[in-house]
Amino acid sequence: MAERMLITLSVNGVAHEVAVPPRRLLSDVLREDLGLTGTHVGCEHGVCGACTVLIDDRPARACLTFAVQMEGHEVTTIEAVARDGALSPLQQALHEEHGLQCGFCTPGIVMTFEAFLRDNPDPSEAEIRDVLSGNICRCTGYQNIVAAVRKAAAVMRGEAL
Amino acid sequence: MKPALFAYHRPQTVADALALLAELDGAKLLAGGQSLGPMLNLRLARPAHVIDLNDLLELDFVRRPPGLVEIGSLTRHHRLATDAEVAAACPILATAAASIGHYAIRQRGTLGGSLCHADPAAQLPLIATLLNAEIVVAGRAGTRTVPVRAFFVSSLVTAVQPDEMVVAVRFPAFRPAQGWGLEIFSLRHGDFAIVSVAATVTCDPAGKVAALDVALGGVGVAPLSLHERLVPFCGREPDAAWGAELGCLAASAVAPEDDARIPAAYRRELAMTLTQRALAAAVERGKDQKHG
Amino acid sequence: MAETPFTQIGRALPRREDRRFLTGAGRYVDDIALPQALHATFLRSPHAHARILNIDSSAAAAMKGVAAIVTGQDIAQWANVLQMAPPIEGLRPTAMEPFPTGKVRFQGDLVACVLATDRYLAEDAAEAIEVEYEVLAAVADMDAALAQDAPRVDESLPSNLLSEQHFASGDVAARFKSAHAVVTACFSQHRQTQLPLETRGCAAVWDEGRQHLTFHTGNQVPHPLRTALARRLGLSESQITVVCPDVGGGFGQKIALYREELAIAALARQLNRPVRWREDRLENLQAACHAREQRCETRAAVAADGRILALELSMTEDFGAYCFFPGNYIARVVALILTGPYRIADYTYRVRVALTNKCGAGPMRAPMAMASWVMDGTLDEIARQLGLDPLSVRRVNMLTPAELPYTMPTGELLEDVTPSETLEAVAAAIGYDDFRRRQAEARKQNRFLGLGLCTVVEPTTYGSRFYKAAGILGSGHEAAWVRIEPTGTVRASVGLMATGQGYESSLPLAVAEGLGVDVSNVRLELGNTDVAPYGMGSRGARGATAGGGALYLCARKAQEKVLAIAAHMLKLNSAGDLRLREGDVERLIGGAWTGTGIALTDIARTAYLDPLALPPGMEPGLDVSQAYDPPPMTYSNSSHACEVELDVQTGRVSILRYVVAEDCGTVLNPVVVRGQQQGAVAMGLSGALFEHVFYDETGQNLSSTLADYRVASACELPNFEILPMHTPNQRTPAGIKGMAEGGVMGAIGAVSNAVNDALAPFGVTATHQPLTPPTLRGLLRGRI
Repeated sequence: MAERMLITLSVNGVAHEVAVPPRRLLSDVLREDLGLTGTHVGCEHGVCGACTVLIDDRPARACLTFAVQMEGHEVTTIEAVARDGALSPLQQALHEEHGLQCGFCTPGIVMTFEAFLRDNPDPSEAEIRDVLSGNICRCTGYQNIVAAVRKAAAVMRGEAL
Repeated sequence: MKPALFAYHRPQTVADALALLAELDGAKLLAGGQSLGPMLNLRLARPAHVIDLNDLLELDFVRRPPGLVEIGSLTRHHRLATDAEVAAACPILATAAASIGHYAIRQRGTLGGSLCHADPAAQLPLIATLLNAEIVVAGRAGTRTVPVRAFFVSSLVTAVQPDEMVVAVRFPAFRPAQGWGLEIFSLRHGDFAIVSVAATVTCDPAGKVAALDVALGGVGVAPLSLHERLVPFCGREPDAAWGAELGCLAASAVAPEDDARIPAAYRRELAMTLTQRALAAAVERGKDQKHG
Repeated sequence: MAETPFTQIGRALPRREDRRFLTGAGRYVDDIALPQALHATFLRSPHAHARILNIDSSAAAAMKGVAAIVTGQDIAQWANVLQMAPPIEGLRPTAMEPFPTGKVRFQGDLVACVLATDRYLAEDAAEAIEVEYEVLAAVADMDAALAQDAPRVDESLPSNLLSEQHFASGDVAARFKSAHAVVTACFSQHRQTQLPLETRGCAAVWDEGRQHLTFHTGNQVPHPLRTALARRLGLSESQITVVCPDVGGGFGQKIALYREELAIAALARQLNRPVRWREDRLENLQAACHAREQRCETRAAVAADGRILALELSMTEDFGAYCFFPGNYIARVVALILTGPYRIADYTYRVRVALTNKCGAGPMRAPMAMASWVMDGTLDEIARQLGLDPLSVRRVNMLTPAELPYTMPTGELLEDVTPSETLEAVAAAIGYDDFRRRQAEARKQNRFLGLGLCTVVEPTTYGSRFYKAAGILGSGHEAAWVRIEPTGTVRASVGLMATGQGYESSLPLAVAEGLGVDVSNVRLELGNTDVAPYGMGSRGARGATAGGGALYLCARKAQEKVLAIAAHMLKLNSAGDLRLREGDVERLIGGAWTGTGIALTDIARTAYLDPLALPPGMEPGLDVSQAYDPPPMTYSNSSHACEVELDVQTGRVSILRYVVAEDCGTVLNPVVVRGQQQGAVAMGLSGALFEHVFYDETGQNLSSTLADYRVASACELPNFEILPMHTPNQRTPAGIKGMAEGGVMGAIGAVSNAVNDALAPFGVTATHQPLTPPTLRGLLRGRI
């Protein structure tokens, strides 16, 4: 069996040539081979959600994905969410609503809701909590994260607050 | 917590995938990877070869042959949960899919993967069992159709042979006046169910039960259909007593075992309670449907 | 906040930390690039209790990428034993090897360490190590451990009884004789774990030329960790720098120096090569640190109106297999503060701590959390048995404002607390009287509502005098420095370490207030032992009082120097009529503060660059240090009210409403405090209802994934309604009290009391947490 496979990994719009063993997790390749350490590893069995990235704009667990699978796909990580130094509306709302404390779960939550809010511009609190249930936060009790997502949605809809 | 070594294969057609399956020893199919991934990371699964099916876009489809909803095995849970055709033709399937795991999990997890993983508490095996779905299985000799009752052999074991793969699932489309109920009881939102119950009820214009089906998950090694025992419950008023009798039937039909944290008696009680609730919801929803 | 004397303290500012966390630019231990670092993994015991007869790593050592495989025999040459032998009556001294050699004591205990060029290869090799074990009988619960002839977890001890302590105050026996009734109650709290989202981990770099160790780790107490590392490695403290980057949560798990970390540090030194370890979640759940497994039985002598005449407590704790902390220290605090805000003079306790073949226990956010459940749960049991209303039983027993300050029977002094105010506030907010009407209506429709109350006095900050009195080695002081640089920018540091508390957004307010500048001009630097002053770090809820207090006093001292210079520049005899506000020196002239035209920037420039212009004899620069030892104990207080609905068919508890009134004195940044309140309540509810480190009777941990160790998700938790109150503490700097653990205490009690209120019509009481559906349904079986 080929020990390493040479693949082209497109992350945040940049193509990287990497030689990786097939078993190497996308989370490890992002962090260790590409230096994109904003994707955090919290459980490596798909439960905590900290490693959530976008694959072709859909949220996915980087710890349940092998890097070799990503040839031909576009991966987006937390490092690409703020544009030109400006926080996205979701990031800004998380800041204003105190939706993060230790920050370890935060990138996964941002990635999940960046995708979710594109599909669901006006979610209810129950819908937000349903989606948020896939990301464990040990610090906040979730209340402020929910408030932040609602605020971000309103801002993205262009509503005055 | 890192996977053991394996070789990786990425076929571009179903035929290529089947050829690889035939050729390689110790191969495992990888679809959404949301169940296999953790097992690989924990080294509970140690295949020598992983065959990645994610390029087989021909298996990602929702079709409507007459009276059926036919769904490709690579169709993601998120699509099942949000596809308008699925919602119209098989609403319980859409609702069940929307309750699987979590949002990010549903973006990757697939119908075929869920059925082949065959967790006895999982949603899609339950719905397939309830609706008596047919599973289309491809092998090098051609495809065969497996009725769901012959599909789930045991916990995590199916009738799919090592050189075969699931390519599609056929669910019967809902009929007019067919109501449905789904009760998934888990300790936390998104967890695997301790017990789950799915039911459909069709009443005639006079309000008498014309047809019903009930299936339970989490109560044995595979989802359990009560289909064979439901005839006496047709032709009756679907009132509380009817529901209570069916709850008792469900409780007596299941044979759960004690595990370290959940006593069998509790699962039996849940089977009774959730059956009643699922049936009540099904009756209510049926009232909202127009008769054909 | 209402009117305050402050201009900086109390400002509701969004956090400074957020931007880096939101953009993926945070730097946690595992984010630090270390070229050529070896990756460690640990081979762990599959058995709860076994002798290691032989370890054969020859095949593994020959595998690809493997640099070294070491066992306890190797590490014993490089590191010292941990003696845990504080002079505490009733506590048996213990000694812990740096790494097991002859015996493993719990499933997940250490057997060998593999270093390889990456973690995948290290795990491959760990699987190839062959270990021969002699499996021993294990004790998997505290009662079995304390039975006669139980297998001994620590064979150097005569039994598994690690600690036993007694206390008596007043005439308990006489009160019981004259009591209207005697009410007993039982409370069993299950094993939990802190579960920081970032697991443990470290990276060690040995500089052979300078004979210096740099140890990167996310730890709550960098300086005590450095001291421990030095002692255990036989180095001087000057040979070690502990660097704590961003930390993804601690909650008590990141205080001790663990054996894995010691091994990594020793190996980096021995191999003269960087070594790193990132604990995986399986290890974290099996082998990091567990907490809370305690059982309490109370016996109360009561009067007809529910008044407690005397109280007895019997408590047992399961401490697991190893002592990373003195075995008595968690349980005894529960006993010390049990009576809380209630008027109880006659009190006795017995506290026993047992060793078992399970992961070692330690503090978890609010280690004494059980106290509030036990006390308020006892009051509820009194109400049930005497047919009284739970709120009225509380009112009868609770200290009135006129009775404060109050010395508890254990000698603990309660002052500047407001328990009756918080209790009445939550009772009013949740609509207590109307609730009883709604509850009765709902029962008629077979719906079962419950309301639980719990009042908390939270010991936040332990001063040195507390430790001394408790016979515990250590100090409660904290140290700070404030430096005003030549441009007038302000840097400050303190010996705390943040693990998510938002110190960078709260503590600078204390500096800004003390100094007289805008907070935007103050930058806080934490976590590097070469930079920060030696302090006791972050544990308990001491950050604001001890750390904020030290910084505030230090900044005041800096302001004095600044004003002395200003007075000299203004040719005044004294600085008495001067103050610094927003970085400008003002003078009181005719009762009005008036600008002097001198700014901090001018003074800083003078202090550094023109020292001859300073007052005669004054040293150049603006560099001030201050240590501060808080009062023996500082208390915050709160009351919690929780409304639940119990589905009696399934046993499911739904939280309908949750209200907290909390008086935590002067708060530095109310945004941060609100976040701490919500997070603490969430942790308490999650623990009481869902989380459970579950061992079977053979000592196998059946909860080692996050699918099995169930922490509450966003769908299980409600929104929290918080009523803030701010009675300052008269003895602490700026009136700060501290907070962040009381939420856990109150939540555990309030939700349990609510569930029992819902269960009341069935004549059953839940005494064992977690309050899971199968457990509650089990209580109801045959009673509906």
